[in-house]
This record gives sequence, C-alpha cells and structure tokens, in this order.
Amino acid sequence: MRAHHLNRRRFIQLTGWGLGAAALSPALLSACGGGASESTGGLLIGTPDTPIRLPLNRDPIADGLAPESGTFRVYNYADYVNPDVVEAFESQYGVSLEISTYTTEEEAITKLRSGAIEADLMIGMTDASMALLMAAQLVQPLNRSYLSNFANIISGLQDPYYDLGSQYTVPHVIYADGIGYRTDRDVDTTVFAGREGWSALWDSRYRGRAGILDSYRDSLCMSMFRNGLTDVNTSDRAVVEAAGSDLADLVQAVNPQIDILSYQEIPAGNRDIALCWSGDMLAGQGFLPEGADPSVLGFWYPPETITANDFFCVLTRATKPVLAHCFINFLLDVDNALLNQTYVGYQPALEAVTSDLLIERNGVPESLLSALVTPDRYRSGRRLVNLVPEVDEMWIDVWSEFTAG
Amino acid sequence: MSGQSSPPADRRIFWPGLALPGSLWLAIFFVVPAYTIACVAFGQVDPIFRDAVPVWNPLQWQFSDASEVLGSVVGGPLRSVFLRTSFYVIAAVALSLIIGYPIAYYLARQEGVRRTILLALMVIPFWVSFLMRLLAWVNLLEPEGLASRFLRLFGIDQQWLNGNHLTVILGLVYGYLPFLILPLYASLERLDWRLIEAARDLGASSSQAFRRITLPLSRAGIAAGTVLIALPMFGDYYTNDLLSRSPRTEMIGNQIDFFVNASSQKQKGATLVLVLALFLALVMSWYLIRLARVRREAS
Amino acid sequence: MRKRSRGLSFVTGAYVVWSLVPVLIAVLFSFNDGKSRTVWQGFSLRWWTGDRQQSLLHDPTLRTALVNSLVLALGSILITVPVGALLAVGLERWRTRAAATVNWVNSLPLVTPEIVMGAALLITFTNLFTGIPLGRPAQLIGHVTFSLSFVVVTVRARLVSLGPSYEEAARDLGATRAQAIRLVLLPLLTPAIVASCVIVFASSIDDFVISSFLSAGASSETVPVKIYSAVRSSSSPALNALATVMVLLSFMALALTVVVLSRWQHRHGGSGGFRQAVADVTQMDL
Repeated sequence: MRAHHLNRRRFIQLTGWGLGAAALSPALLSACGGGASESTGGLLIGTPDTPIRLPLNRDPIADGLAPESGTFRVYNYADYVNPDVVEAFESQYGVSLEISTYTTEEEAITKLRSGAIEADLMIGMTDASMALLMAAQLVQPLNRSYLSNFANIISGLQDPYYDLGSQYTVPHVIYADGIGYRTDRDVDTTVFAGREGWSALWDSRYRGRAGILDSYRDSLCMSMFRNGLTDVNTSDRAVVEAAGSDLADLVQAVNPQIDILSYQEIPAGNRDIALCWSGDMLAGQGFLPEGADPSVLGFWYPPETITANDFFCVLTRATKPVLAHCFINFLLDVDNALLNQTYVGYQPALEAVTSDLLIERNGVPESLLSALVTPDRYRSGRRLVNLVPEVDEMWIDVWSEFTAG
Repeated sequence: MSGQSSPPADRRIFWPGLALPGSLWLAIFFVVPAYTIACVAFGQVDPIFRDAVPVWNPLQWQFSDASEVLGSVVGGPLRSVFLRTSFYVIAAVALSLIIGYPIAYYLARQEGVRRTILLALMVIPFWVSFLMRLLAWVNLLEPEGLASRFLRLFGIDQQWLNGNHLTVILGLVYGYLPFLILPLYASLERLDWRLIEAARDLGASSSQAFRRITLPLSRAGIAAGTVLIALPMFGDYYTNDLLSRSPRTEMIGNQIDFFVNASSQKQKGATLVLVLALFLALVMSWYLIRLARVRREAS
Repeated sequence: MRKRSRGLSFVTGAYVVWSLVPVLIAVLFSFNDGKSRTVWQGFSLRWWTGDRQQSLLHDPTLRTALVNSLVLALGSILITVPVGALLAVGLERWRTRAAATVNWVNSLPLVTPEIVMGAALLITFTNLFTGIPLGRPAQLIGHVTFSLSFVVVTVRARLVSLGPSYEEAARDLGATRAQAIRLVLLPLLTPAIVASCVIVFASSIDDFVISSFLSAGASSETVPVKIYSAVRSSSSPALNALATVMVLLSFMALALTVVVLSRWQHRHGGSGGFRQAVADVTQMDL
C-alpha cells in the first residue's frame, strides 16, 4: 500500500534498483548458469526528475594516445551519417570507415550482446536504452581530453539526466515525434489545428499511403497522445493494450507501412503521411527526385509529443577507441555538424546550430520550419526513459501481438 | 570375392573411417544445434535482458514459457499467423502446380535441341539469386514501377507492396516454382507415353487418358515437388519482408526472425522454431506414409 | 491434341517471359542515369563506375559483399565436396545400423527450412560454440552444413548407378581398398563430384537466410544480404549493378565448369562431349 504514496517515476526507479540487486544475487546467478555474469550490474535508470550519475565500470582510455589506423567500425542507423563527412574523416585520419546498420535499439543491443556485431563507435542510441547499455557493459567511459569540441554542445545537454557528467555518452542530435506529410497531396491539414492532430493517421483516405514507426514505444505512444494520455513510460498494461488495439484499428483503416523509412518514402512520393521523427522530414529534402520543389514536404509539430536526443558512445570492446573519440569530436565541430545535417537532416545538438543558422546556411525550406526543434519545444517534450524489464516486456508483447496482425 | 581377401577388421574400420568426418560434422553442426534449440526453448530467461539462458540438462527443463507460446499458437495471437502462413503456402503450392504442371508436361514432350533450350531457360532462375529476383519485382511493383504503371493502363490500380496478400502469394510462387518444375519434369519425362497412345487407341478421349494415366503416373513427382517447395515456403520470411512488410501479411517466419534477430526474446523464437519444425515433421511423415502406400499399391 | 499443345507452349512461353524479363529489366536499370530503380532516366555508367561514392566501383560495401559471397562459395566447395563425397562412399559401402542413422540424419537438412537451421546455428554459436565468431567462420560452417546433404545425395546416386563391380574388379586384380577408390572409383565419380561443386557453389551464393542470421555486420554481408538490407533502407541502381555482376559471375563459373569437364571427359575417353558435360553438371537428362 505504501507504493501508492510514491511518485510513479520514483517507484519505477526503485523497482529498477530492486531488480538490479536481484540480478546480482548469487542465488539467481547460479540458477542462470555461468553465462549470466554479463548481465550483472542491475538497471540504473535516470529520469528527468531523478537524474543519475552512472558508476564507472572501468578507466577511460589514457590521455594523449595516437589515433589507431586501419578500419574503423561504426554501428549506426542507415543513412545516418553524411558520406561526405565520412570521406573527410577518412582522409584526415588516413583510415577507412565501415558502417554496420541496425533498425531498432533492441536489435542493436541484442546483436552487440551476442557478439553478432563488433564495432568501435555507436551512433543513434537514446536514453530509453541507457540503463541496458550500462547493465550489459556495452559502453566504456569517455576521456574528455579527446573531446575538445565538447563545449559546443547545447548547454542543457552537457549534463543529461540519464548520464550526469556525460561520462559515457555525448549528445548527437535532437528531434521530436510528429507527423510528416506531403503538401501537394490530398492531406487534410485542418486536423492539425488542435490536439486531435494525432488522429490524422486514422483517416481511411490515406489507405495504402501511410506509415508508422517501426519503434514500439513511439508508435504506441502516438495512440496514447491521441487519447490525451501523456505518461509515455506507463507501466499500466491496460493503457498499453488499449494503445495497441487502437493501432490495430489504424491498420484496418489505412494499412500503414511499419518501418523507419519515411525520410525517403515521403519524398519519393510512395507515402503521403506518416508518423516520423522531425529529422526525417528535414532529411527528406535530399531524397526528393532531382529538381523537385522541397515545399512538398510538411511536418506537423504536435503540442504534446516526445522529444529526444541521440548520443554517441564508445563500445567496451572497441579496438579503436581513440579513433572513436576523434570521430565524436569531429562531429562536434560546427562546420562538420552542419555538413552532416545537410544529409541526415537531424539537428545537431550544438548550441551554435540554431534554427536560424539551419535556415540560412543549410537551406531548410519555409515549409519545414515546423520540423525544427527549438529550445522551448525541446524542454516541453515528454522523454522516453529506460523501462524496467517486465514493463518493457509488456510493451514488447503488446507490440508483437500487434505486428502479428 | 574381394570381401574375403581382407580381414573383417579392416572392413569395419575402412568404410566408417571414410564416413567419419561427414558424420562428425552433421553431429556437431546439425544435431547439437537442434538440441540447443530445445535447451533454449525449455531453458531460463535472463531477468534483465530477457535473453535466453539455455539449460543443458533435460531433467531441469521447464515448459511453462513454451506452453505459453504454444497456447498463443493454438488459441492466441499467433494462431492467425499460423493460419495465414498455411493459407499462403497452400495457395502458392496450388498455383505453382497449376502453372508448373503444364510446363513440365510440355517440356517432357519436346525433343532434341528444342528441349535442351527450354530446359536451359528453366534452369536460369537457379543461377539468378532469389534476392535478385525479388529485387527485380520490388522495382517493378513500386507505385511508379513499370508493372504498376502497366497494370494501371487496364484499370488495375493497387498498392502492390503494402500488405497485399496476392503479391505475397505470387512472390512465393515466383521464388519457388523453378524448384517444382524440374522434379515434375523428371517424373513426366520417365513416363511411358506408349501407355497413353494405347489408351487413345482403345477409345479414351485425351482428357480421359490424362486423368486415368498421365496424372496417376506422375503422382510421385507431384508429391515430391510439393514437399520440396512447401517446406521452405513455411519458413520463408524475406519474400514477405521485401514485398509487403505489413502486419496483414505476417508469416510465421517473420515472427521467428523478429524474436530471434530483432528483439531479445530468443526463447520465444526458439519455441516457435520447435513448433514449426514439429509441424513440418508431421507433414513430412504424412507424405512418407502416403508415398509408401502409393508404392505398395503400384507393386 | 495440337490445340492443347499450342496452349501449353503459350503457358511455357509466358512463364519464361515472367521468370526472366523482370531480371533483365533489373539489369537494365543498373544503367539508369537517375537515382531511381523504377523510373528510367537515360543511359549512363554512373552506378557502375561514374559515381564517386555510390557506384559499384567506388562503394566499398558493395565490393565487400561480392568478395564475401565468392569466398564463402569457394570455401564451401573446398570443405563440403571432399567431406560429402567421402561420406557418400562410406555410407554406400558401410551398411550397418549406425550407417542408416547417419544416412537418416543426413537427409534432415534437405527438409529443414533455412530459418530453422539459421536460428539453431545462431543460438548455438552465441551460447555454446562461443569460440566460433559470427561472420565468415560461422557463415562458412552454416553453408557447409546445408550443402553437405546435396553432395552426399548427388555422389550416392552415381555410386548406385555404377554398382560395386568396378571396384571389385580392381580388388580382384590386387588393388588395396584405398587404391581401388583412388584409381578406379574417383575417376568414375568425377562427373558427380563436378556437379556437386556446381550445386554447392550455386546454393552458397544464392543463400540469404543462413548468411544473414550468422553475419556480423557490414564486414560479413554477402550479396543477397546486402540486397536485402539495401532494399529495406536506401538504395540506388548500384545495387542492381551488384546483382548483375553476381549473375554474370555465376554463369561464367557454370560455363567454365562445363568446358573443363567436357575437355576432361574427352581426354579420358569419355563419349558424350559437350552435351554430356552439360547434362552431368546440371544433373539432368538432356
């Protein structure tokens, strides 16, 4: 009964600690066989209300090491780094860069843990997976002496709640969930006037021309926002199941594609409307057919939505940790970050890269000003935090039932 | 007799010796993995990552998680996936037979250079990777693709690559048909056509002759071809992934791929693998029993 | 009768068009001037050599995929064919209950869907044989495992048709068992062994599921895995160029095999010549 008096977030965090302790306990360890030793460490979940300073799992690399040579391996989303940036980095450091890609954060963590992927640097993870990355000991602490451009980061993100002191992670880009659409197709933009905007996708006129994110939390949260619910980290099964059945209705109505490809499918004209990340539409410019008018791309920035930032992290098993630091620092440089933005679309998490600068230097079109995340918007967004295992499993169960049709 | 000239001990060692490397290979990389799947399906789950922790001792296996998955297959959300998969496979096999049988029949009746050329054309798809052939169709079926635009000329305006049952079934047919035509051809080619001539001479119509003689005599080929394409179709997920990628067309292979590769729930994936393998084993034994009966009747 | 035959020839012709024309169009689109794989924008070599970053010549990931596919295929042949041929001979002559068991196990991979084998191998490599890293070593083992049975079946079919008499004759003339195999059986088995090489090569380069389950990221992507991941994310006609090269390479390998085999048979007093070689390689009665 005590638990009722606890703030929910606090409760989640406590449960996380409890589970962590359980995982550490020798009885459970032996029950799981020797193989479970990797998963000790427990879940240390930071939330905006209860920020967390993560314990150091080892020493960072020493100061003043020379960058390694050879092949440098990056684990990243597809199309999430500008080939021109890669080329510039390769020629500056005399190395070759090899990119493996993942589609979802769960997939990435699974493959890193099983050894299916070996890489030096990881790009694109968010705080929703921070605790898992720590518990699996996948990431190593950073040595700030290699990150001379660290001060360029948005001041509010230099000390993020999920990793106080940025010991393991460096913010990369910021974005928000919203709805991307074509301004030149039959899309009813009047619904975007109010909160009902989230209902836009349930309109059967978009049948066969809509998409949602292949990211269980973003897509399920869209259903919740539509119903006026804002606890994006809820542990209430009924709420999540209701969101799942709403999504099933969405499938009945519009038969959407479920992927993370709206940044190319909307510009290509294969899709009229989709749940996507703000950066997707900014990236969409580069995927328009040659000569097309960028004003065909539109983005609805919902008043109530999720905001997030991706981060860089150096993997524990990195064989080229110095290069990994160098690459992070390379992208913290304002010019390089701007060059990268022209291709990946997502806004660099750098103080100097304001909306005005993006419009001015990178030519973000008028129609996509709504896709830019301003500091105010960023602060007011809901954050997806790392869920405790059984809550996360419940979310995934609902999602896999949904995808089973 | 050569067997007497060497001592039996030599004989006992020599042939097994030749078979040893291959037998060991199969034991280590086929039998052991099969057992591992069971150890994972009936094993434990890591409390944090939900990863499978295999239990190697069968006496310590626990079946509650597996029976939960089985319950879902029998009466839960996975039931529709299994039914859909079966429907797709049955439809695709039926369609393959309808298309493939006449072609194999035609091939078997050709002679000389013509037959060689036709056979060569039939073999080409074997040498073009399955994924390349799928890629070709993805290009054609996109909204602005050639096939979509062509079909629109006839007023057929469809979203082909978006949860379209027909696309998935035709994709399966397209992928696996070459594997059906050749065994069918082999069985028809061996057929004694004089029997049909005799039937015709005795007054049977051509359709009667076909029904009474050709079809029964090619039954073994049909059965073999059917099994040959139906089994891999049951495990197929990439055809569906490339041509549809929608919950509406989700097949059992997609769920296995999701649980084993994309999510951390390998235990569920392993259980589904077991369920699928058992289901297919039942289908196979049914086929083998039928085959034995057909053979007995024939002799 | 004639009427029906015309109908049949139409069906066959339509099937040939249906099965091959899409592939030809895909090949054609590798020469597209635009970025699209669906809308033709004029002829160019942009995606083969022209584009500085994304053409087949300049994109290292496409070349890596090609090399990986070929290395795996050749590696599979080198392991599978000797092991499989020996297993076939051993099983054919070693007729005990143990042999029957091995024979039964050997037939299982033929009827196991690839996803079952792929998932089982992945789980085994990540939980039990952790010394074998995912990527090329695991993929090679996977390819050998699923193609071993093809080799055994192919070689055994030839053994059955040959019968034991050649070997017995050699033994009667004083050859040891090993000599009888090396000097008599092996030459007689050559067509089946060559056919095995071809089958292993074809099934290895065609394989997607095992390669994908057992891959370790970009460095171990094969051509089919690359096609799969690229179709699902961004892709350009360079992908079509990659697929085209793969098709050309397989046909060249096939042609080379036929020529070499027909030469070999000619030199060893074989009768059939070119046609027989084609029949042997494709395992078909032409």
